[in-house]
Amino acid sequence: MYKLKARRTLFTAVILIISITLMGCANSETGSSTEGTAKEANSITLSWPRDIGSMNPHVYNPSQLIAQSMIYEPLVSYKEGGKIQPHLAESWSISDKGLEYTFKLRENVKFTDGTPLNAAAVKKNFDAVMKNANSHSWLGVINVLEKTEAVDEQTFKMVLKEPYYPALQDLAVVRPVRFLAESGFPEDGDTSKGIAKPVGTGPWMLSDYKKDEYAVFTRNPDYWGESPKLEKVTIKIIPDAETRVMAFEKGELDLIYGEGLISMDSFNQLKEAGEYHTELSEPVGTRSLLLNTTNEKLADLRVRKALQHGFNKQAMVEGITLGLEEKADNILSKNFPYTDIEVEPFEYDAEKAAAYLEEAGWKLPSGKAVREKDGQPLELELIYDKTDPIQKAMAETLQAEWSAIGVKLNITGLELTSQIERRKAGDFDVDFWYNYGAPYDPHSFINVVAEKGWGVSEAHSRLQMKAELDQQISEALASTDEKKRQQLYSSILGTLQEQSVFVPISYIKKTVIYQDDVKQFNFPANRDEHPFNEIEMSQ
Amino acid sequence: MATYISKRLLAVIPIILFAIFLMFSLIRLSPVDPAEAYLAAAHIHPTEEVLAEKRQEFGLDQPLLMQYFHTVKEIAQLDFGNSFVTNTPVWQEVAARMPATIQLAVSSILLAIAISIPLGFLSAIYKNSLIDHFSRLLSFLGASIPQFWLGYLLIFLFSVKLDLFPVEGRGSWQHFVLPSMTLSLALIAIYTRLLRASVLEELEQVYVLYARTRGIKERAIMVKHVLKIAILPMMTGLGMNLGKLLTGTIIVEQVFSWPGFGRFFVEAIFNRDIPVIQCYVVMAACLFILCNLIVDIVQLYMDPRISIKGRIPS
Repeated sequence: MYKLKARRTLFTAVILIISITLMGCANSETGSSTEGTAKEANSITLSWPRDIGSMNPHVYNPSQLIAQSMIYEPLVSYKEGGKIQPHLAESWSISDKGLEYTFKLRENVKFTDGTPLNAAAVKKNFDAVMKNANSHSWLGVINVLEKTEAVDEQTFKMVLKEPYYPALQDLAVVRPVRFLAESGFPEDGDTSKGIAKPVGTGPWMLSDYKKDEYAVFTRNPDYWGESPKLEKVTIKIIPDAETRVMAFEKGELDLIYGEGLISMDSFNQLKEAGEYHTELSEPVGTRSLLLNTTNEKLADLRVRKALQHGFNKQAMVEGITLGLEEKADNILSKNFPYTDIEVEPFEYDAEKAAAYLEEAGWKLPSGKAVREKDGQPLELELIYDKTDPIQKAMAETLQAEWSAIGVKLNITGLELTSQIERRKAGDFDVDFWYNYGAPYDPHSFINVVAEKGWGVSEAHSRLQMKAELDQQISEALASTDEKKRQQLYSSILGTLQEQSVFVPISYIKKTVIYQDDVKQFNFPANRDEHPFNEIEMSQ
Repeated sequence: MATYISKRLLAVIPIILFAIFLMFSLIRLSPVDPAEAYLAAAHIHPTEEVLAEKRQEFGLDQPLLMQYFHTVKEIAQLDFGNSFVTNTPVWQEVAARMPATIQLAVSSILLAIAISIPLGFLSAIYKNSLIDHFSRLLSFLGASIPQFWLGYLLIFLFSVKLDLFPVEGRGSWQHFVLPSMTLSLALIAIYTRLLRASVLEELEQVYVLYARTRGIKERAIMVKHVLKIAILPMMTGLGMNLGKLLTGTIIVEQVFSWPGFGRFFVEAIFNRDIPVIQCYVVMAACLFILCNLIVDIVQLYMDPRISIKGRIPS
């Protein structure tokens, strides 16, 4: 009897579990579904690998730049060729010494809750950002900001401790200096812990959101600027690259846009299919090698030059990136401000490489494959991120190529954090390095060349002209004279180019694939901005 | 019975402590410094002072044994700390994602049961028939195809080509079909063979012969007697696999964009979000232990022979 009862209980429990599960399914069925959004007129569906995050304008991970830039706007924006243009500020003036920036705000700008954007709101946001200045110290303007002031309703003033020309470029970045409405602030005003709701001035509003599943943005009907053509943008969260491609092929997605969002193979396959539009952006950054001159062997310019000449860059980049990246001769691509300088490329020339090494005293003993000097072999270590297939393939190629000129390259795959740690400690011979892209470069680039702590300045420390270089960099960052700045940049970049501590490999590009009915797609000039304002759908 | 269960429950404690110890040591052995991982996730430039401050906050400057006891104490209170990335309690994040994962796991188990019981049973009764060959083929496939690849194949066939189901996401019953199929195929492979083997074994038993001589209908013998006993090993397998299934959803959730807790874990690995990784490992360990325990207890109810053999005084 007892057993029978127990069995019945068990049976009931099983039935209960099954019904709860089915109820769960039924419940989610009634929940809002994003099916079919791709077919809705005047709307676009794309995918993103991670959830859009908390939509807090003043914090980083896990919030996604693309979505933050849809809701929140900057005082000034970064456009093609590095031009800084008015955005929420319709004009600005900079004092003679470059210490005071006075912004005149646009009159008709409203947050999506109806409140006006005025100098007080701008100041409130600046204060919230500065409260956690140590989280934002990577951004130059934060470190030199002395105080801010709401001069009158529409005038906002920013005072710097020292002149810093890229202040405007830094204000154009997607985070942290963008503006949340009063109603979005938490009670204690400290946005670093979270916000009440995402209310910005941007052309888009978050209208529906399910964590880890999707986010729907609708057009802001009261937007102050030119209204977007689309009514709705749906971002589906699809973490897997292959699934993303299949969802696109099935038509569930209209667009795949970003960096590294699909594999190079898939991109080329979709391109060859001929049914879709595929495009590559202008270079957004350079993939380089960093040679550490604190190593005695690499302190010799001739050895560094030999390494530059000693590998077939063109073949390596084409072979490994399948044409999605472009061979780089300049350390910074020419589409950034002040970087359009002519350089003499280091062409692939194994004989020249060998000659440089001979000249530097590295001789090849008979019967051996590795050059030696004073009984020391020419042996170097390259560290790379072991989870990055491109770095790994390039490391292996370099190992083979450099062995042909008598250089033994040991390659060590590391966890990303260990790689960064070793770079910062200067504990490497050769490492991979990337610049930041627009709107951060070229000023962020020259800043890390001069500023200690990131491993890059340290890698340059044995250059004869290091002190002079640092001086030039600090002058360039503080210079208020456009012409002088260009001269300084040309000189700095020219020196770096010649000194070969950076070995440029390839220009990284963004990819986009879209369906036939998507029109007017343009890559944004700012690497982190969204591209949705100009897109149209043909009916 | 009660003593047996309480004994088993007590035995669970040292196992969980050992699991926590293992997890704790592995994290300490990895080259990732939790303080540095935190600062990287929070976008704070790791100067020596800030690092020292964080190390102190996380208790990393204390002796290892103290750190271990501290970890155990916190876990016992279900306090896994805050995620480095989202800055919210890990337990809250996990709890919010658990239902999706459980739904997927349960629907896969149900699908596996619904297919493997008839298939295993029929392939034993009609040994070497077409259905037996088919079940063998299915088992081979299920045991050898990696889940992520199967997922892609199913999406490609049923979604891209035949347009029967959505490619990814969660929302309607259609969304359950492909991920459940992907997860259950491996289970079907095992259970079908298990059931087939045990049915064949039972058919050899004397009671089947007696039943036949007594003139009981063949169908009744099969369903009421043979199947009922033959299904027991499958129940054991099922329980052992429940834990595996919940953790195995990692890949399937990734492939099908299923918003569950396996996917959250994958992201945590990329972000070096140590509190989340810690929570996941501990939960997975507890789940395995718990499932084994439940299976043992359920078996007690279902198979009186276990207690008769004297393992447990009834």
